[in-house]
Amino acid sequence: MNFEQLLREKEFIILDGAMGTMLQAKGMQPGETPELVNIQKPQWTEDIHRSYVDAGSDIIYANTFGANRYKLSECGKTPAELIPPAIANARKAAEGRALVALDIGPIGQLLEPTGSLSFEEAYELFREEVIAGRDADIIVIETMTDLYETKAALLAAKENSDLPVICTMTFEQNMRTFTGCSVSSMAITLEGLGADAIGVNCSLGPRELYPVVEELSRWTKLPVVVKPNAGLPDPETGSYDVTPEEFAESAAKLVPLGVKIFGGCCGTSPDYIRALKERLSSERYAAVEKNIPSAVCSPENTVIIDQPRIIGERINPTGKKRFKEALIKGDVDYILGQAIEQAHAGADILDVNVGLPDIDEKAMMIRAVKAIQGVTDLPLQIDSTMPDVLESALRIYNGKPIVNSVNGEEQSLNTVLPLVKKYGAAVVGLTLDENGIPKTADERFAIAERILNRALAIGIRREDVFIDCLTLTASAEQAGVMETVRAVRRVKEELGLKTVLGVSNISFGLPNRELINSNFLQMCLVNGLDLPIINPNAASMTGAVRAYKLLTAIDVNSVDYINAYSGVTVTTNISGTAAVKEEKSSDGNSLLYAVENGLKAECAKITAQLLETTDAMDIVDGILIPALDKIGAEFESGKRFLPQLILSAGAAQSCFEVIKQKLSAENGTPETKGKVILATVKGDIHDIGKNIVKVLLENYGYDVIDLGRDVDPQAVVDAATEHDVRLVGLSALMTTTLKAMEDTIALLRSNNVNCKIVVGGAVLTPEYAEKIGADFYAKDAKATVDCAKKIYG
Amino acid sequence: MDRITIKSIDRSEAFRYMAAEGYSPEGIIAELADECERELIRVISPKYTYRVFGISDNDGSRVRLSGCPLILEGKDISALLSGCHSAVLMCATVGAAADGLIRRYQAEDMTKAVITDSFASTAAEQVCAAFDDMLREKYPDKFITWRFSPGYGDLPISIQKDFLNILNAMRLTGICLNSAGMLTPVKSVTAVCGISDISLPKKQRGCAVCRMRENCTYRKRGTRCEF
Repeated sequence: MNFEQLLREKEFIILDGAMGTMLQAKGMQPGETPELVNIQKPQWTEDIHRSYVDAGSDIIYANTFGANRYKLSECGKTPAELIPPAIANARKAAEGRALVALDIGPIGQLLEPTGSLSFEEAYELFREEVIAGRDADIIVIETMTDLYETKAALLAAKENSDLPVICTMTFEQNMRTFTGCSVSSMAITLEGLGADAIGVNCSLGPRELYPVVEELSRWTKLPVVVKPNAGLPDPETGSYDVTPEEFAESAAKLVPLGVKIFGGCCGTSPDYIRALKERLSSERYAAVEKNIPSAVCSPENTVIIDQPRIIGERINPTGKKRFKEALIKGDVDYILGQAIEQAHAGADILDVNVGLPDIDEKAMMIRAVKAIQGVTDLPLQIDSTMPDVLESALRIYNGKPIVNSVNGEEQSLNTVLPLVKKYGAAVVGLTLDENGIPKTADERFAIAERILNRALAIGIRREDVFIDCLTLTASAEQAGVMETVRAVRRVKEELGLKTVLGVSNISFGLPNRELINSNFLQMCLVNGLDLPIINPNAASMTGAVRAYKLLTAIDVNSVDYINAYSGVTVTTNISGTAAVKEEKSSDGNSLLYAVENGLKAECAKITAQLLETTDAMDIVDGILIPALDKIGAEFESGKRFLPQLILSAGAAQSCFEVIKQKLSAENGTPETKGKVILATVKGDIHDIGKNIVKVLLENYGYDVIDLGRDVDPQAVVDAATEHDVRLVGLSALMTTTLKAMEDTIALLRSNNVNCKIVVGGAVLTPEYAEKIGADFYAKDAKATVDCAKKIYG
Repeated sequence: MDRITIKSIDRSEAFRYMAAEGYSPEGIIAELADECERELIRVISPKYTYRVFGISDNDGSRVRLSGCPLILEGKDISALLSGCHSAVLMCATVGAAADGLIRRYQAEDMTKAVITDSFASTAAEQVCAAFDDMLREKYPDKFITWRFSPGYGDLPISIQKDFLNILNAMRLTGICLNSAGMLTPVKSVTAVCGISDISLPKKQRGCAVCRMRENCTYRKRGTRCEF
């Protein structure tokens, strides 16, 4: 018997119940390593397994839940030592009556960005478990709360074994996991990645899980698994509050939702499984008809493509000098700024393209995708012409992304579609091929159809293929505009596919581009465009989508429209230049006032005006630096508080951004006062202090090389050597991470890196700083700036 | 695991964390503070869990608990629990979403990040206060000591991993350690408090007995925490 046969032949598949509470009943102490029992008291696990098989379990979970290298490190054993005996024990108890599962639980450490374990490290830990568990009949990944960790485990299982895989995650009553993952995101991501059955386990009893299972069932065609707790635990006695009969009764109520696989988690015992088996014997499996819509997701946010959704196009260096500079410098913060700005402006999905000839696109793509997912919950569209860049981004993406793009060329179809299938993404299909972009709508339609058929042939769902009928510029190919529009309509109506289109290209070379863009956008929306790729910061473009949704009654009762525009005074842009000139003239005093009061928008505006008449460096040295000095002095004397200091620093930052953009447009580079490396030390993930220091240093014209948080000592040494910096700033928040600070300093010294070191952080003192070999102790961000001044003048 | 709701952030406490004691924000900062508070309260999911163990031995330098393999080492924890029949091990968190919000704000606006960071610390303390209230309600006739955390005084921080294991904290609250022994999510707390049948002297509090006194940020600034 294997899993497939079980699915086919059994009305319901019965799993086992709890292992941990059963072991505790046999005498295991709380906090002990349960997997040690596999070799120290094998009879215990064998007895427990046997009692579950006797009670009716079709699949039993070997005692390997926490058998990963990280968790086992404290007991000195390895997965290879504990997993095979665990499976052998289960096998012995099963006597051919039940399948044996390799049970994989969470690693016990949070993954980035909330924790410090990387996706790649998590994958390695899981890989080791999968390989050690190759004698099992099936792999179960369970009790997961982080979609990212679940993905690492599922990929490790799929890539290192041929066994079927069940994935179950743990949801709270608010329908989310601890890390915020929603039921729909879990379902579409894990089904896409090739799980064989998905479901929920732990945290709640069967009654409380009903709404979670109902939602899950709506989002997947895979067999649904439910393995609830025996109710909720009493903190003092550790006992659970639901009886076996109540448990079985509540579980039976889940049958109409289409649940196929049942079991028990914490607090359940063979009695629960027996009661479950008995109660279900009078039920029939209820296959549920469902249509899963087109959707993409991050862990927290599922975007259903049942109406026009805006794909923000701004994360792309094409034609943007400032963006290219940021990429070359590895300035991810700049990209994050672009992400957040588009999210605020109304983007539903963000396109991410970091392709530039002179950079390592793959490394940059991985960094950018991870960083963007750390600060926004918008799903991403991964945009690259290089298949290996696409694949590395697909691997580390958390959720279900869109791949941009495949086209009708044989080579593209052969390389890109298998990636889309393997990683469970959606894909943009460009209607071009070896012969270029066809002129007519009919020819583009034919390519769309070809792409669709190839996608379907390798198992990509129709709902996951989005066709781009390609926008040509109206100034060059005026007759082609309507061909694009017609192609959109045909693809939508005849193939039933979602359509996507980069809109802004239409107006290239024409004056007043926004006018053309927004009109073309409306034409396309009316003809069936689902995913306009636009600049959401352009009010007329986002406005066109909002207006379309209102006028087509998608935005019911105009709620979104009113939310977006109530209280907004709309001014026409035609007299913009004149309007600025009419305002009272801007001078140094008004800029000082704006910086002191943290008026960001004012700061940017006044700086732009001043730049028309004043040299950039005069503004910096004559106005901004003195303003910052004054604010800094007031902070030191207690007249100003930290939030006020940061507010002013942030306002000054917007002045510097305007200056940078101007210099960049004129091919100049901003004058730098010197390079400073900043890092939060290894193991420390609290980096707000370091980031405050960064803002202040940048205000004063220092070029900050920000290595981030949880930084390996060697990375600091490498960066300091490569950039030849004279000052390195290290931050540590906890007493536990001071050691890492000491190690970093020692490594800098032993490598004879010729730099001074300044340290700061809540638990540091001047004495301790001296003891660990730092040159300076900075009590706050202002003191770090003073320190930099001492070194660079 | 118990869920609690936090309806507002204790602002004066929060600004004290920002080294801005007595500061009452106005203008932009007041507006930002309102926004940060709204957003933080919307995203957090506060939780705590605890276990109560009888004290089987307290010899003044270590405390043994019945049915619990963890030994609480140190003179400070022994002093705190002296006269108590039981010890409560607890952990609490505002959840991973607070870390996410702070991360987002760091990319968006550092002022909001600084404010939200200390609001979230305050919220974690408020979760602990709600736990205290729950415990007092549950043991109306008993006396309960204040909370003492691993890493305070001479109670080693190295017990965190076992401490969390005993509470099944990962499964019940989502709290775990990173490789450097930091609690994640960041705005999380672990602590011990004692339950006694008799009224306890309150002598053990304050800077004089605190072992952090030599490198305490509050003392450096001339203020103090609530210890």
